[in-house]
Amino acid sequence: MKRRWFIPAAVLAAFALALGGCGGDDEEGGTEAGDGSITVFSLWGGSEQEAFQKVLDKFTTDTGIETKYESARDFLPVIRTRLAAGNPPDVAIIPRPGVVAELARDDALIPLEDMGLDPDAINENYSDLWTGLATVDDTLYGVVAKANSKSTIWYKPNSFQQAGFEIPATWEDLLTITAQYEANGKTPWAVGAQGRDNSWTLTDWFENIYARKAGSDNYTKLFNGDLPFNDQTVKDSLLEMVKIVNDRFVAGGIDTALGISFVDGIGRVFSKKPVAEMYMEGGFVGGIALGDVNPDLKPGEDIDFFPWPTIDEAQGNPLVGGGDVASAFVNNEDNKKLIEFLATPEAGRIWVSTGAIASPNKGVTDDAYPNELVAKEAEQVKNAESFLFDGSDLLPGTLGQDFGTLLQQIVKTPKNMDSLLDDYQSEAENAFAAR
Amino acid sequence: MSSTAVPGPVGRPRGRRLSSVFRRQGVQAFLFISPAILLLAVLIVYPMVRTSIYSFANLNSRLEVTRWIGFDNYTRLFTKDKSFLNLDEFPPSGALVNNVKWMILYTSLSLLLGLLIAVLAARVRYESLMKAIVFVPMAIAATAVAIIWKFVYEPDPNLGSLNAFTTMLGADPIAWYGRADTVNYALIFAYVWASTGFAMVVLSAALKGISEEVIEAARTDGANEWDIFRRIQLPLLSLPIAVVTVWLLVNVIKVFDLIYVMTGGGPGGASEVIAVTMVDEFGNGEGGYSAAIAVVMLLLIIPIMVFNIRRFRSERVTG
Repeated sequence: MKRRWFIPAAVLAAFALALGGCGGDDEEGGTEAGDGSITVFSLWGGSEQEAFQKVLDKFTTDTGIETKYESARDFLPVIRTRLAAGNPPDVAIIPRPGVVAELARDDALIPLEDMGLDPDAINENYSDLWTGLATVDDTLYGVVAKANSKSTIWYKPNSFQQAGFEIPATWEDLLTITAQYEANGKTPWAVGAQGRDNSWTLTDWFENIYARKAGSDNYTKLFNGDLPFNDQTVKDSLLEMVKIVNDRFVAGGIDTALGISFVDGIGRVFSKKPVAEMYMEGGFVGGIALGDVNPDLKPGEDIDFFPWPTIDEAQGNPLVGGGDVASAFVNNEDNKKLIEFLATPEAGRIWVSTGAIASPNKGVTDDAYPNELVAKEAEQVKNAESFLFDGSDLLPGTLGQDFGTLLQQIVKTPKNMDSLLDDYQSEAENAFAAR
Repeated sequence: MSSTAVPGPVGRPRGRRLSSVFRRQGVQAFLFISPAILLLAVLIVYPMVRTSIYSFANLNSRLEVTRWIGFDNYTRLFTKDKSFLNLDEFPPSGALVNNVKWMILYTSLSLLLGLLIAVLAARVRYESLMKAIVFVPMAIAATAVAIIWKFVYEPDPNLGSLNAFTTMLGADPIAWYGRADTVNYALIFAYVWASTGFAMVVLSAALKGISEEVIEAARTDGANEWDIFRRIQLPLLSLPIAVVTVWLLVNVIKVFDLIYVMTGGGPGGASEVIAVTMVDEFGNGEGGYSAAIAVVMLLLIIPIMVFNIRRFRSERVTG
């Protein structure tokens, strides 16, 4: 019978270990000296990573502090694993303000003030709009490293000219162009919204339409949980969306749209063998198209963008956009210097000179931009009459990702919209209640 | 574990036999197995226990418990989370259902193909070349398998070899992993491609172990090739088949990398499986919830493990 006590004993031993392992996690007091090397973590790869590396290189030249860039497309699971293991990166560029808030409330991020940085001085170069993204409960946790307009529609000026199209000012104009392209025997649109990693292109479609049709107030309410997702305004906007995002107007139909990535979608329009004419996504499309997809493109001839057209005159033309926040997880002098550097116009100028991003930094002037595409985007970001942050990135917990999945289901079978939205709303109620 | 390794008087119940071992060699035996027990406790039991505890809680980003919520995570998983289990429509859908689909199709296809190739290859001169080719995918990381098959299934016929083929025959290209009705089968087939080699190698080795004399004797008695396969080879292969089946089943319950890379559970959640859901929920900051999913996965694997251990024991004792 002695065998019987073995398993309980092993379990007990495990518990003892568990209890032993629960200690640790010492709270650090004050800013410590660094060890001359910083790990920086973000989700960028390809041309986006190269661009950011230039900024880091400049920092190393100036300060002698080495930087090590680490990248993971599945940013969130990785950052949470490292946090739980007590091994966070020194600095991370966090892609979603919803996550910034969550990490800040869990005391995972270091407030800038605790690092000995003056929030007002840091914020001097940014408008309230942008500092708001890095501010949680009135405490500043980082700097907005880059800004993106997502209210941009990419097209081919040459192709527009050939067909005799004007830049559309209204949604009706855009629908007309879409139909006309099809009548001319061309496929008007490409969409790349495959799987979990690319469904955000659909949420961006929806957000741009919703902001212009239901208005900024409803937009803010909807993504803060104050308006149900099965509201009629949501359904109306989705009905507008599927006027374009459907089997008829999208290259290869919805099945293909849900089968290709965001970058492949750009390729459908701007590669050397294009099959479609327009692509809807943010300002960063230009950098990826020129940097990764087809370097031979001539900005202004082969590729350009126009701002999202107005849908309802009364709701104006708000800008939907995103921004990434650079925050420190470890309080030391090296990290402090990097955060400080990232907030300078100098860092912004180097970064924008790569053509990968627009900077929200007021000190970065138009002449720093390498081509008209990014300069135009920066202009749009700076001059927006009103700015709305990418709504799905603000949703708590699993809602953001599930919103993309929901839209995949809706564009595939719009007639199921009502029941799908009802389901999502009941999930949303739980998620907002838990927040 | 150690019970069968120790020779003991035949016919006595095993429990007693083990206890007599301890009586005779108590401390010494314990010392011998304690390193193994320690390793198991630290690397397997401890994480398992801790995960189970977490599944009853809400966790923050550092995996610290913020609130104990009893069985709420489990209730939510089985009744509210339609991407995990959706019984509202017929046929039911969700990650759990997809895993069942995987278990049935992937296991039977890999096993049948492996068996078929093992039996047929034994009859040709270029057997080793044939087996080497089938085995190669086993040596490829699942993430690389995913990239390879992404190109095979790519919707653009200029890139996707499968669609290049179908369009050559005059059909329209199909977005294999963009459609809810094809995505699971496309994924399963890719994984079968990667696993058939394993089934084949194990079964082929077992097949070689069957004495030629038995087969010759059967031939002399007038058995045809089908009879030999059906009545001699197949029964003698039943243990290796069981081993391969268990391995395939366990492998498929935890299937993750291929799907994560190829579709990420899309489109519209159509190819979600338990492990992908678990990682996604973890990434979304739902530590306790994903722990509950991990526990469900563990509970699914336990019966298979129990069966496996029983099976081994009975084989050893009788054989």
